[in-house]
Amino acid sequence: MERTANIPLAAWPGARSVGRPRVTARAFAALLVASACLSALLASWLPLQVSIVTVFLFAGPHNWFELRYFLMRLPARFGRSRNFFVVAFAGIGVLTLASAALPALFYSGLWSGANWPLAIATWNTFLLLWISALVLMRAKQKAKRDWFWVLPIAFTLCAINWLAPELFSLAIVYLHPLVALWFFDRHLRRARSEWLPTYRRCLMLLPMLIVAMFWLLSGTPSLADDNGLAWRITQHAGGQLLPNVSTHLLVSMHVFLEMLHYGVWIIALPLVGATGAIWSTKTIPLARRRHGFPKLIAAILICSLFVVAVLWMGFTINYAATRDIYFAVAIAHVLAEAPFLLRMI
Amino acid sequence: MKRTLILSTAICALLASTIYAFGDIARPKPTPAEGKPIFYTGLTIVPDAKSYEARLQISQETLKRIHAAAANNSDQSSMIQSVTHSSTRTIIAGLFMFLAVSFAGVWFARSSQRRNWKAVAAVLLIAVVFGLATIIVRANAGPPGYIRWQNLPQALKDGKATSGGLSIEIVPGDDNMKLIIPLRNTPKPGEE
Repeated sequence: MERTANIPLAAWPGARSVGRPRVTARAFAALLVASACLSALLASWLPLQVSIVTVFLFAGPHNWFELRYFLMRLPARFGRSRNFFVVAFAGIGVLTLASAALPALFYSGLWSGANWPLAIATWNTFLLLWISALVLMRAKQKAKRDWFWVLPIAFTLCAINWLAPELFSLAIVYLHPLVALWFFDRHLRRARSEWLPTYRRCLMLLPMLIVAMFWLLSGTPSLADDNGLAWRITQHAGGQLLPNVSTHLLVSMHVFLEMLHYGVWIIALPLVGATGAIWSTKTIPLARRRHGFPKLIAAILICSLFVVAVLWMGFTINYAATRDIYFAVAIAHVLAEAPFLLRMI
Repeated sequence: MKRTLILSTAICALLASTIYAFGDIARPKPTPAEGKPIFYTGLTIVPDAKSYEARLQISQETLKRIHAAAANNSDQSSMIQSVTHSSTRTIIAGLFMFLAVSFAGVWFARSSQRRNWKAVAAVLLIAVVFGLATIIVRANAGPPGYIRWQNLPQALKDGKATSGGLSIEIVPGDDNMKLIIPLRNTPKPGEE
């Protein structure tokens, strides 16, 4: 039986010593700092344009890379983690359906949108309770681990959520990109532990960049959101919820964090510790094990590539509508990150 | 027993008297209606020695956006209003807060023997972060706006322009336009 803890985090195991590019920690740090600074610069300079381009180019592919990474982290046999994965997948399914149903009901005219904050608060509460359940289940798998403290924190967050549900949802929008940085930290811990201290030191730059962006952009005029697409982007970044904050600052900040998120999933995670082809299914335990499902896994990955292509076509034909649909459905990948991150802690 | 009874009666009488005491307090003056922010933009104050009249220049695009924001604003209530007017949400938030405090107590009691100070520090840190985040949100995020206006008096004396953030508010009534600049009094050297 293959346990999750034993699954190598490097995407292409066995290749550590062969053909690995010799990149020093200093070069790695320089690359991280340059990428972060460039992202902050672009996001601050042309927030709307960069938002449109990055979502168009990377929204679909980053979901494909996430799917591949999660398949790689899925144990060949669930064993005593079975209940954990049942709760995880059930939560992802139910919460995604509920999240997508709310705008669908609204746009189809079946729901007037009355009590919208109540609906959002209820959804957020179930999300918090689901994550708490996963944390407690994960804690049970290790004898010396007492994560009972997660309950008071979860209930406090629930209370805050009920006081300001829309702001709570906005906080998720801004915090979700940062989860990728946590994934990368856990990945480096096993794949390139010698880079971990450098990476963590580089993370100190992030709050500095955020403060600098606040400082530079807080006094700038709001962006012109006179067309439907610009309005959608500013609303997504919280323009309506925070009327006293420049939408230039909000959109820039959101785009900057999204760019980091995409960079981690599309570039950093596949490259660190990798020397093989990304389309190979040999590193996926469910495909590799005896009596496994290599064809099914390959089919899933190929179908996902097809979905990415459809998404690009959709963006080309009607960018605004596709963006709306994408962000309504993309909650699934946000949710999927929770159980897989917990498995890596 | 008798002493307790007398004490209880005295306390009840004292509490009852507060009703009359409150009855003597003048009715509070109605608070003036607060402005409602609808739009955020930037403002530059330029001293001009050649002008005879103060002028307010608004770009066509900004005017359009203000117009659109004012039109969208009519049916929106502020977040504080929505919380205070939603008893359901307040009750549920209170219930969760009660659960949080209860479970925190259980956890604290459970971990008292083998108290994990790192976890305690982490919880305190999270609480501080949330507290700070709340302050930032209440302060409209970013550095406080008044910092950009601190040098306004000196800049006006020197004939220089000063730029900063501006929140456009709609206030009831028919008064003149009012520009409120957040200036803090800083004591000059030698002044107390």
